[in-house]
Amino acid sequence: MSGFLFAVPPLVGHINPTVGVAARLAARGHRVAWACPDPGLVRRLAGARAVVYPCAGVAGVERPPGLRGPEALKFLWERYLVPLADAMAPGVRAAVEEYRPDVVVADQQAFAGALVAERLGLPWATSATTSAEFTDVYDGMPKVAAWLGARLDELRGRIGDPAGGADPRFSPHLVLAFSTPELVGPTARTGEHIHYVGPSIADRPAAADFPWAWLDPGRSKVLVTLGTANADAGGRFLAECVTAVRERADRVQGVLVDPGGTLAERGDDKDVLILPTVPQLPLLERVDAVICHAGHNTVCEALWHGVPLVVAPIRDDQPVVAAQVVDAGAGLRVRFGRVTSARLGEALDTLLNDPAHRTAAARIRTAFRTAGGATAAASHLAGLAAGEA
Amino acid sequence: MNPTRPTTEHADEEAVLADIRAMLLTLLEEYGEDDVEIGTTTTFNRDLELESIDLVTLAGLLEQRYGDRVNFAEFLAGMEFEEIIELTVGRLVEYVVHSLKAAEAG
Repeated sequence: MSGFLFAVPPLVGHINPTVGVAARLAARGHRVAWACPDPGLVRRLAGARAVVYPCAGVAGVERPPGLRGPEALKFLWERYLVPLADAMAPGVRAAVEEYRPDVVVADQQAFAGALVAERLGLPWATSATTSAEFTDVYDGMPKVAAWLGARLDELRGRIGDPAGGADPRFSPHLVLAFSTPELVGPTARTGEHIHYVGPSIADRPAAADFPWAWLDPGRSKVLVTLGTANADAGGRFLAECVTAVRERADRVQGVLVDPGGTLAERGDDKDVLILPTVPQLPLLERVDAVICHAGHNTVCEALWHGVPLVVAPIRDDQPVVAAQVVDAGAGLRVRFGRVTSARLGEALDTLLNDPAHRTAAARIRTAFRTAGGATAAASHLAGLAAGEA
Repeated sequence: MNPTRPTTEHADEEAVLADIRAMLLTLLEEYGEDDVEIGTTTTFNRDLELESIDLVTLAGLLEQRYGDRVNFAEFLAGMEFEEIIELTVGRLVEYVVHSLKAAEAG
């Protein structure tokens, strides 16, 4: 039996997919542990008895909400990803030396996991919880790629093996992508060691109570959510969504997730339900459309249930994921910063009335559910540990 | 290359700006927008919130209009990270005018 150490950033969407994989490995008798700057978060998601090695993180990085596109990318790297790798490296190294794993599973954005494993001569796998890195959007801008490469080289000089050369985002041994080519599209990066296992969707502890009886069986239901990391920028957009739903109240009900409390609630509202959190997976079994920011996890969870989407990407990987949804035929894109309730309503009407998007979403659902998920990921990792990869 | 609307007129900034404004409006209209102000100081990133994937579409529109006289891919490929962040409509207009003049001279 083998040991696996998951090096993860303190981000829910990056930890969640590893939870199911680790559970499958443990069920086969393997040892699993995590290294993370927020051990409490891992234990909340993976269970109180999870073995977690603490490491340092970066605190207090607030990205100005207005940052978009390449500017947001540069900020993310300079102010978060690179400092995070520097901070995590000593803790990851100590965890490896104490836990003695056979394989390090490094999150694609936790560069420390990959670089430390390379330095210590351990096999390592990449856990790619978003698929945006698999399409080269900055392909036509070689100086952007060169800038990113230079940051990684400097980082390798500080925390990795200066003689090493692997890209910490893509393990040469094994890459686990929690998506499928049906969604990523024809330009998806491929290779013998790249495995598209589909989403790793684990049952989560039930969130707050949800008034299931509020849902009206006679109307279509739409879920509006901007995920867990975008409360700063969503007020205007959510307000436009509310208007679009209210204008269709004869045939549509809307559930809006508003963690930042930016919307005023009306008492006894039969058309729009505003909540700080929702039990997203059970709710997705009952909704007809989703309006979201094209975060990878929300998109994959919606498509796991065959629900088409209106996507309004804000930044980071979201524009790429939104383009994947549109190209797969499973949804429509609108502009987060500018879209009006009229345009949102039109997009919603299209999804609800035209079966084409639902059919395309169902196709992705089938692809996701036959890709193997956490079980397939665990098999690939066990193979790597056994020297088969 | 076989541009659908070959321009034979002298390249001037006003005309090119009008062309590019029309292309950007076409691009934004796909998202249902038609009331965006576009001038030379308008930035692609902050003002128009264009993503790198939108630039691929823009490259296609530029090629339709100007054929191989304007090489947008080369324009982007030469740019530093900061320059891409700060890219304005005016800078693109300048590049197009420069390319068209070079093509006329050549």
